Amino acid sequence: MTITEQDYQLFLFALKSSSKYDFSEYSEKSLKRRLLKVLTDNKLNITALVNKIKNDQIFVEKVIKEITVNTTELFRDPQVWHAIRYAVLPKLKNNSVINIWHAGCSTGQEVYSMMIVLNELDLLDKAKIYATDLNTDVMEHAHKGEYKYRFNIGYLDNFDKVIKENPYNYEEYYDIPYDKYFKIDKATDTIKMNDFLREKPVYKKHDLVKDGNPMYVKFDIVFCRNVIIYFNYNLQNKVFDLFHRNLYDNSALILGMHETILGAYSVKFQKKGHVYYKI
Amino acid sequence: MNFKAVIIGGSAGSFQVVTRILSSLPNNFPVPVLLCLHRLKHVRSGFVEALSLKSSIPIEEPNDKEQLKPGKAYLAPANYHMFVELANRIALSTESSVNHSRPSIDLSFITAANAYRDKLLGIILSGANRDGAAGLKAVKDKGGITIVQDPNECEVKTMTESAMQLTKVDYVYKTDEIIRFLSKIK
Repeated sequence: MTITEQDYQLFLFALKSSSKYDFSEYSEKSLKRRLLKVLTDNKLNITALVNKIKNDQIFVEKVIKEITVNTTELFRDPQVWHAIRYAVLPKLKNNSVINIWHAGCSTGQEVYSMMIVLNELDLLDKAKIYATDLNTDVMEHAHKGEYKYRFNIGYLDNFDKVIKENPYNYEEYYDIPYDKYFKIDKATDTIKMNDFLREKPVYKKHDLVKDGNPMYVKFDIVFCRNVIIYFNYNLQNKVFDLFHRNLYDNSALILGMHETILGAYSVKFQKKGHVYYKI
Repeated sequence: MNFKAVIIGGSAGSFQVVTRILSSLPNNFPVPVLLCLHRLKHVRSGFVEALSLKSSIPIEEPNDKEQLKPGKAYLAPANYHMFVELANRIALSTESSVNHSRPSIDLSFITAANAYRDKLLGIILSGANRDGAAGLKAVKDKGGITIVQDPNECEVKTMTESAMQLTKVDYVYKTDEIIRFLSKIK
């Protein structure tokens, strides 16, 4: 089965006209692939899919969950976390409050990574953690804080790099046990985050396409990693505008390793290492 | 020969071959070279540097939506799928692994085949799984030219043999012959 341009447009139009979702500014290549997957998984052709979208809001929610990409990892790209730990957070240590927004938090591994770093720097208590996603299922998973051990085992190595080692001083080593933050149960093949981390974040459904600031506070750090790769330029600019308006001056925007700010907003953020700072 | 891009896929045993190919290219190679190579999961950085040591053209791990330029090599970044968009741009994705692989050689090849059609040269090298076979078939189906490294020369033959089972490839070449073929691209 292939997706024709007409199929694709019919799908976008059905969503836009019969639901609160608008995917017309998503990046076409990925979205077409995901659409094909939805059709195959649900054994539907495009006409049947469009009809169901028009008449069944519960089905629409299911489609949205299937079509969005939910990859996230504990301490993905340790060098980025080094920048957060050694460049971004020290500047915030005298704040009375540190507001952090994880936009597109998915199943939450990054939210936990951040809380662990904050705790190591004794900053967790004054941090307010806000996490949003379009997909409420993944946020429930995030709140549960339970992950497959085998799936995450490679990331313990990243934990060591970020939490135990100091890349700027190889003689420094903090012998932090994993169970300070999560319990590994090999029998049930799970990693379960400890309750003091699980209960900390505020989760809220949020659509970067059309919603404004979800929390009515300004932010010291915004994470939005490997989300905008699924958006076209126009939508990327809207999202950068939203972040720019809701970040404090000189505050940090953390994107994915291979995401960049192009176009009008490239002059409104300054990139140092792996971090963009609001100008 | 008239191509708009060259795409190379490989896995176990391909590193030395890719290095030899990259070192043989003229520094004004007329088209972009796309590299989709599996690497061990923990090898996240240093791969570009290692490949760059002997390469005669610059190699980078591209950013999302980056425009492809002739005479440069683009290595699929660790843990991302690398697609080619119609406007000669890269698109990255963190969708789940395909055939246990991210980057998936199949996905890179299929999207490149759609973008460049009969102006694409697809090459599959040594590797230990079947990724790339469906991709090379897509290149052939769109009218592009297909090459696999001679399985007798491959450190691990699974990838090349799988590709040959699925597609009647145009050429089965040893590394030297691949290099000679590439040198004729104008």
